[in-house]
Amino acid sequence: MIGSALVSGLGLGSMYGLIALGFYVTYAVSSTVNFAQGSSMMLGAVFAYTFAVKFGWHFVPAAAMSLVLCALYGLLVEIVAVRPFARRGSNAWLMATVALGIVADNTVLFTFGREPRGFVLPWASEGLMVLGIHVSKMQLAIPAFGLGLAALLHWFARGTKYGKAMLAVVQNADAARLMGINVPLAIMAAYAVSTAFAGAAGIMIAPLFNVHSDMGTLFGLKAFAVAILGGLTSAWGVMLAGLLFGIVESLITAFLGSSYTQILTFTLVIVALAIMPNGLFGRAELKKV
Amino acid sequence: MKRLLISLALAAAIPAFAQEPIKIGLVTALSGQSARAGEAITRGLQVAIDEINAKGGLLNGRKLELLRRDDESIPAKGVIAARELYFKEKVAVLIGGLDSPVALAIVPIANENKMVFMDPWAAGTPITKNGAKDNYVFRVSAVDELVDKAMLQYAQKVYKAQKPGMILVNNPWGESNEKGLTAALNERKMKPAGIEKFEGNDVDVVPQLSRLKSAGTDVLFLVGNVGPSSQVVKSLDRMGWMPPIVSHWGPAGGRFTELAGPSAKNVHFVQTYSFFGNQSPVGQKVLKALMAKYPDIKGAGDVTPAVGVANAYDAMMLSALAIQNAGSTEGKKVRDGYYKIGKYEGLIKTYNKPFTPQNHDALTENDYVWAQFIDNQILPVGMHK
Amino acid sequence: MKLAGLIVAFAAAIAFTAMGNSYYVFIMATLGLTALVGIGLNVLLGLTGQVSFGHVGFYAIGAYTAAVLTVTLKWNFWLALPVAALLAGATGALLALPAMRVRGPYLAMVTIAFGFVIENIAVEWRGVTGGQNGIMGSARPTFLDTERAIAIAAIVLAALATWGFHVLTRTRWGAAMRAVKDSEVAAESIGLDPVRIKTAAFAISAFCAGVAGAFFFALSGFVTPSTFAFSQSILFVLVVIIGGAGSLAGPLVGATIVVLLPEFLAALAEYRLLFFGALLLVVLWLAPDGVVGVVQRLAGRRRKPRLAPAADVTLGEPRRAVLQAERIGIAFGGLKAATDVSLRADAGRITSLIGPNGAGKTTVLNMLSGFYRPDAGAIRIGGVEVQGRAAWRVARAGIARTYQTTQLFGSMTVAENLAIAGGGEALLSFVNYRGDLDVRAADLPHVDKRLVEIARALATRPSVLLLDEPAAGLSRQDKQTLAVLLQRIADSGIAVVLVEHDMDVVMGISDTVVVLDAGVVIASGAPADVQRDPAVRKAYLGEHALEPRGARAAGSGRPFLVVDRLEAGYGAEPVLKGVALEVREREMVAVLGANGAGKSTLMRAISGLLRPVKGGIAFGGEDITRLPAHNVMPRGLVLVPEGRQVFPELSVLHNLELGAFRRGDDAKADIESMLERFPRLRARLHQRAGLLSGGEQQMLAIARGLMARPKLLLLDEPSLGLAPAVINDLFAALDRLRAESATILLVDQMAGLALALADRAYVIEGGRIVASGAASEIAATGALEKAYLAVN
Repeated sequence: MIGSALVSGLGLGSMYGLIALGFYVTYAVSSTVNFAQGSSMMLGAVFAYTFAVKFGWHFVPAAAMSLVLCALYGLLVEIVAVRPFARRGSNAWLMATVALGIVADNTVLFTFGREPRGFVLPWASEGLMVLGIHVSKMQLAIPAFGLGLAALLHWFARGTKYGKAMLAVVQNADAARLMGINVPLAIMAAYAVSTAFAGAAGIMIAPLFNVHSDMGTLFGLKAFAVAILGGLTSAWGVMLAGLLFGIVESLITAFLGSSYTQILTFTLVIVALAIMPNGLFGRAELKKV
Repeated sequence: MKRLLISLALAAAIPAFAQEPIKIGLVTALSGQSARAGEAITRGLQVAIDEINAKGGLLNGRKLELLRRDDESIPAKGVIAARELYFKEKVAVLIGGLDSPVALAIVPIANENKMVFMDPWAAGTPITKNGAKDNYVFRVSAVDELVDKAMLQYAQKVYKAQKPGMILVNNPWGESNEKGLTAALNERKMKPAGIEKFEGNDVDVVPQLSRLKSAGTDVLFLVGNVGPSSQVVKSLDRMGWMPPIVSHWGPAGGRFTELAGPSAKNVHFVQTYSFFGNQSPVGQKVLKALMAKYPDIKGAGDVTPAVGVANAYDAMMLSALAIQNAGSTEGKKVRDGYYKIGKYEGLIKTYNKPFTPQNHDALTENDYVWAQFIDNQILPVGMHK
Repeated sequence: MKLAGLIVAFAAAIAFTAMGNSYYVFIMATLGLTALVGIGLNVLLGLTGQVSFGHVGFYAIGAYTAAVLTVTLKWNFWLALPVAALLAGATGALLALPAMRVRGPYLAMVTIAFGFVIENIAVEWRGVTGGQNGIMGSARPTFLDTERAIAIAAIVLAALATWGFHVLTRTRWGAAMRAVKDSEVAAESIGLDPVRIKTAAFAISAFCAGVAGAFFFALSGFVTPSTFAFSQSILFVLVVIIGGAGSLAGPLVGATIVVLLPEFLAALAEYRLLFFGALLLVVLWLAPDGVVGVVQRLAGRRRKPRLAPAADVTLGEPRRAVLQAERIGIAFGGLKAATDVSLRADAGRITSLIGPNGAGKTTVLNMLSGFYRPDAGAIRIGGVEVQGRAAWRVARAGIARTYQTTQLFGSMTVAENLAIAGGGEALLSFVNYRGDLDVRAADLPHVDKRLVEIARALATRPSVLLLDEPAAGLSRQDKQTLAVLLQRIADSGIAVVLVEHDMDVVMGISDTVVVLDAGVVIASGAPADVQRDPAVRKAYLGEHALEPRGARAAGSGRPFLVVDRLEAGYGAEPVLKGVALEVREREMVAVLGANGAGKSTLMRAISGLLRPVKGGIAFGGEDITRLPAHNVMPRGLVLVPEGRQVFPELSVLHNLELGAFRRGDDAKADIESMLERFPRLRARLHQRAGLLSGGEQQMLAIARGLMARPKLLLLDEPSLGLAPAVINDLFAALDRLRAESATILLVDQMAGLALALADRAYVIEGGRIVASGAASEIAATGALEKAYLAVN
């Protein structure tokens, strides 16, 4: 049972991690997040379903087109729900992103439909035996993709000049502008990338799950917990926190029963943050007066 | 000739102008996860109302008008909406309560204020058996307690179940059935192999199912809406475990085969009505009306969840009879109007004195049929071999 | 006036509730209870600045406790109510413990998790809570046996809570909460314990939610877990934010919007949520900081300033005590910031702590004030050991302090800043503050911030006063006034410990001078002795005269940067009022002027940071008046901003690389040449820039600017806050640039430094150029004295 719990936990955890990376990207650049990131994930799945199933496109162009649309939605989030507030130093973006998420969920409810739909990808659900249980290809692909993406992000942030420019923006926006960095553009780019990440997570989860307007809510919330636990300062930390969260969740369910899963995981979140106020993998900011 | 037409039109229009419509209220979830079910109830009611209005309405030509409110599955919101419809809009009958907690919260308002509340969906036992001396709550739907007994019976009869395990969605409906199933098992001196819950938006239910498997479960009792139910089936597939599955009516709420894959047919679930197969004249009429009114309905497979549509249709028709019997929209008279309903040929069945002061449930365990998905059709078990 | 409006509003609400139908009664009750939760949350969010996305948890605790006690255990509601409220309040105090350690999004997560835990306990603890289907049963309270009565009670409760909030904001506790919100560091340094204050805020806030929850149960007769879902917590926060956090009427307005808006939209049925979301966005756009704020701004009237009186005030005799540090030390991540530092500050004396930048002066101050916990050694005040104690305890033991960057409570007025520390307006007279008492501290000019901060420190009646670079950024005249003030403070019997770079100030007033270098005390004694100490001279003063050595080619005469009739500013009144200047190719030009003359605004305007501006700015023949900074910079105009502004979390190397961000080519060779130009950066290449000393950061900032290969380099106050020896290094670096014939526009307070280097200079005063000419001429005429010293 421990084997199957681990496999389940890794699969779940990497999904959380993937969405949480979206929180990390915008936070690292602008100290703001799209609180309704679950909606972004849902949009990815809904777009992909629409193109691949309703329009009958091949999966690859369907997924690519969905990611582009998700990125555009990210721009919308930034322009409509973040920038007007962040510019004035108000933190009402928190509420505004929630409001926009409500609008997005309900718009999908009326356009896509109220019925959950199955995103059937035969190749994605074919599988192999791992640790005595049948694991679908997609279940293996998600952790690989998530870790790959974390590695890519890590390299981008530390190894490329654009990555460093993004990090500079959050530390001192004025100085970043003096370096010739287009700050509004950098923040918009972060939101586009963040939403595309969530969308990618949605597309990958859809074949294992089903597609409906409400599918992202719980994911978005757990992903936020993961992003916070990861410390919001490193892509690796966030991804690792995701895996850890998923594994802990499955292990509690498998050994103590599902009654305790939610209570214990969220209690552990509180305890972990009380002990490590900057997350499990976060670094304390310099304390100076 | 022209003048004649105009005066005819005027004559037809006058009663409509002169008479206030009879307002029918609906409080249900119209957004969120249960939006589809709320829509199904809406459709069942609307088709019935259109039919009644086409025949000239009730109480000497008063037309029926449907007012809908979204409760978002939250009791506190449902309570406010119910009050608005009762006291501000002054509806004659309030229909509603997709979720048992919402319905249960509305029940005292109905009883205290002597206003009728008709439940076409929520299956919580105490909604109608609420202990009030003066009971204004009626139901045309399944009752969890009875469904649970039927599920156990079916599992024993068909699968010789010794150690059934439960996999239940973690919401009030799941919990209500946990109680019902446990009580049904106790009655037969049986114990469940295990009881596991999962969240409506869980992707992977393998950890819970592994516990049930290692506890020696021989038949799985499943309670969950169509989406969550499909996650259970897919998780079972991944585990390579194929126990017989006896389910509440959740899978009927959507395209179960599309969601759950080929193993969907292994799930046997309870139904009050199916639009597939040979239809009674009422069934044919309703399906035709649905297809005419809603362009997205092209056949029986698009009427989902069928039970919502069917229950709501019959609930509306029975309520219309009650209003007609009462000769008024006043709460107490309408309530007594329900008791006066004699024989009525409905969609689900032919009702014969469906309501008495002692019994406020129109459907009984004899009205349940066992069904399964074969491709995209809900067929009674055994029709397909 | 405002209170009268509120009373009318509450009376109208009660009248409406008394007459309306059952639906309206229920809505009004919901409104009252939502407002009650909102007012409680406003104490937490509005006053203390702590967000909670888990308030529904407290609401649930109140409701469930009332339900269990009245329905299951058949208690009377009036007995159950206090238990419910106290249980919620106690849970709030308990949640404050983990919440205390986290901030921002981390705090949000802790509270979200709390809400979830409570919701799931309600689901799982079936024997008590009734599980998913909850507890039903109408146990109407005695006296309040109708819905109407409960609704009226809810409105009265909201009114009482509003009154309570009003009273709280006027008490010391309310002020303390706002102080903690504005600056936790400063709150501690005046002896406030943030832990206790935040715990109280959490408890009060949870208590209100608990009361509301209990009444919710009395009203509706049911509790279920789904009633207390996360989304409800978001609505509670919305109540506070949409109304206006911190304002008295905010939660009332917010509750009205959050409760009534969905009712107006009810007929939209399934489209209600969609429209609710969209309208919410619109309201937030129109009033991002609350409806109440917008209304106040529209109805805003001018207030007459209440000036601090000019009076001859003397300080009372303090509790005289000696501050002694014995061999204290601290290390950060292996880096020893201070080792074996001993010093003694006697009552009535001024003890100065000097040393080159990065010597560990502020670190020592931080240990003395309890902000850092020393790894070793002892700190005694009046014989009592205080090392390792929390900062607020140290403050209460009699050690007050000020900060390098002032830490006033920005949202509070000058008078409130004093009052919260326990002092009156007389102290403002004592420190020579002559401004408005009712102005927000954040809006004060720099000098006044320093003065008010000193007054606030004195308000705690300290035995010891620690001052961290109080003279930084002050004009020469203000420095002299400050020196006199410090002398007067010492004369009253207080032990003054001064960290300061301005040697005129230090040597002029100190009784003892302690010299730190690299975290170690290298000398200590009377000013004259220390000045003569060869070790000090070597380490610290470095006797180079500011004489440029390199020869240089003259400017070509082609105007490179032309600024004409430039007007710019931040508010209504422009800071720059028609500035015209030009810089020619290969010319070094200085802009001189006192603090507040508009020097930095000029630099921000030229570099594109400040837009829009009026007038014209042309660079290399191109109009850049409307270009934003990131488009000005690639044209070769690079600003090294005031205050260094390095990227603190990035390494030195990455900072340098970012300087070359807009260059397409490989910058490796340039980095090598920068490390050669500024050798101290090489050793620190892979360290976080935030860990560098001020001087090193300045070198890094200049190097980073040079990485862009600028055609024109703007330098804004490069010498600000630097020790003299470091200034010598800086001067050498600038001199080298001069010799290389770089084109530079330099702004600096140190006129000597600027004039020694520049070919030409402008003097700016009150946003206008008042003199210009060759540097030598400017040095000779009186224009500079006038601008700097106000000498006519």
